[in-house]
Amino acid sequence: MVRESKQHVPPFVGPAWYVAGAWAIAALIAQATLVHYLAIRGVVPSFVLVVVVWYAIRVNARRAAVYGLFAGFCEDALSTQTGAAWMISTSLSALLASRLSRGFFADSLPLASGITVVATLLRALIFWVVMALCGYPSGLGALHFHEAVLQAALNAATIVVAMLLTRRFEAAES
Amino acid sequence: MALLQIGAQRSGSVSPIATFANSLFGVAETAVAATARGTRALGDAVLALPSLERENAALRESNRRLTQENARLHELAAAYAAESSVRPVVDLYHGIEARVIGFPPENESRAVTIDKGFRAGVVRDQGVLAAGGMVGRVAAVGPYSSTVLLATDYTSRIPAIVRRGRWWGIARGNLSSVVVEYLPQDAPLRVGDVVVTGEGRSFHSGVPIGTVNAIERGDGMLYQTAVIKTFVDLGALDRVVVVPR
Repeated sequence: MVRESKQHVPPFVGPAWYVAGAWAIAALIAQATLVHYLAIRGVVPSFVLVVVVWYAIRVNARRAAVYGLFAGFCEDALSTQTGAAWMISTSLSALLASRLSRGFFADSLPLASGITVVATLLRALIFWVVMALCGYPSGLGALHFHEAVLQAALNAATIVVAMLLTRRFEAAES
Repeated sequence: MALLQIGAQRSGSVSPIATFANSLFGVAETAVAATARGTRALGDAVLALPSLERENAALRESNRRLTQENARLHELAAAYAAESSVRPVVDLYHGIEARVIGFPPENESRAVTIDKGFRAGVVRDQGVLAAGGMVGRVAAVGPYSSTVLLATDYTSRIPAIVRRGRWWGIARGNLSSVVVEYLPQDAPLRVGDVVVTGEGRSFHSGVPIGTVNAIERGDGMLYQTAVIKTFVDLGALDRVVVVPR
């Protein structure tokens, strides 16, 4: 007798696509207009990546990658100088964030901040590799590394603050 | 006392007793008059209380209106000052005035987005100036907006001339400032020398870039490099002018 087994499908716990899309658009607009004024030593926190990680740790890898692809495409469209570098790097970072979060609670602060740090560093690495392959002049590796480390810290702080605020609002509503 | 008074009257002077009494009465009169004035003022104030309330409310309203108007006028004055600062550049180069509306999302390049595109006549590679001098060049053009690559971007290359000796070099961005490379080794550069654009793809010759802030010269080098302090604060751009080539 052959025992049939169904493939395990993890439950979808992420927000609706239009909610996630609205968050991505809002983060992009803020990123292109306001976040510039928060720059520390020329480095800005990436609200876009924070939103992507926030979504990716709640959904499966495929959804996360598509979401990252969309957010990266929008960033490339706004940058005009980056080709598809943000698309590729953000999509792969979202994929990694989704894989890393399997088996953990999505609302865990240490998990979210840790994944954000890893995703930021990986994203910067992939971005500058793609840019170098597309002809961006070399010579700024150390600078880009320092910027990535600083941005990872800023992003981790941003996602922690965002999650704490979300908890506060949810507690106030319930 | 009467004799003293009569004596003083005859001699045409005031007796000391009268002087003393006068002083005492003077103090008393002053006190009484002040009290009377205060009482009258208090009475007037009590009687005028309803009208004072109305007057106070009117003054508060007037103050609020004037404060708002003052803020609006300050904003208009700032806008006028900003606009008038680039007006000579617009007139001189027959350029297109534009405002900065955005930045690269991740600050990965030194660029800004302006609110004029090809529908307003902006063309790729046109030079962009501000009131003080050169800003950069148009790197990408859309229908309603364009991306301007700033002179501080790592990929920016602009022909440059040190005005005092007409020494040529290439102005390159290094993210935080502008450096002029490939200047002749024997050029006697000095801190404070003015650097302008050379004839190139985006600019005519003579647009001010900045002044020499530091000089990097080595014995074994074929060229020397000058670090430039730009005339325009490229981190705080608001109004710019796109100049046709």
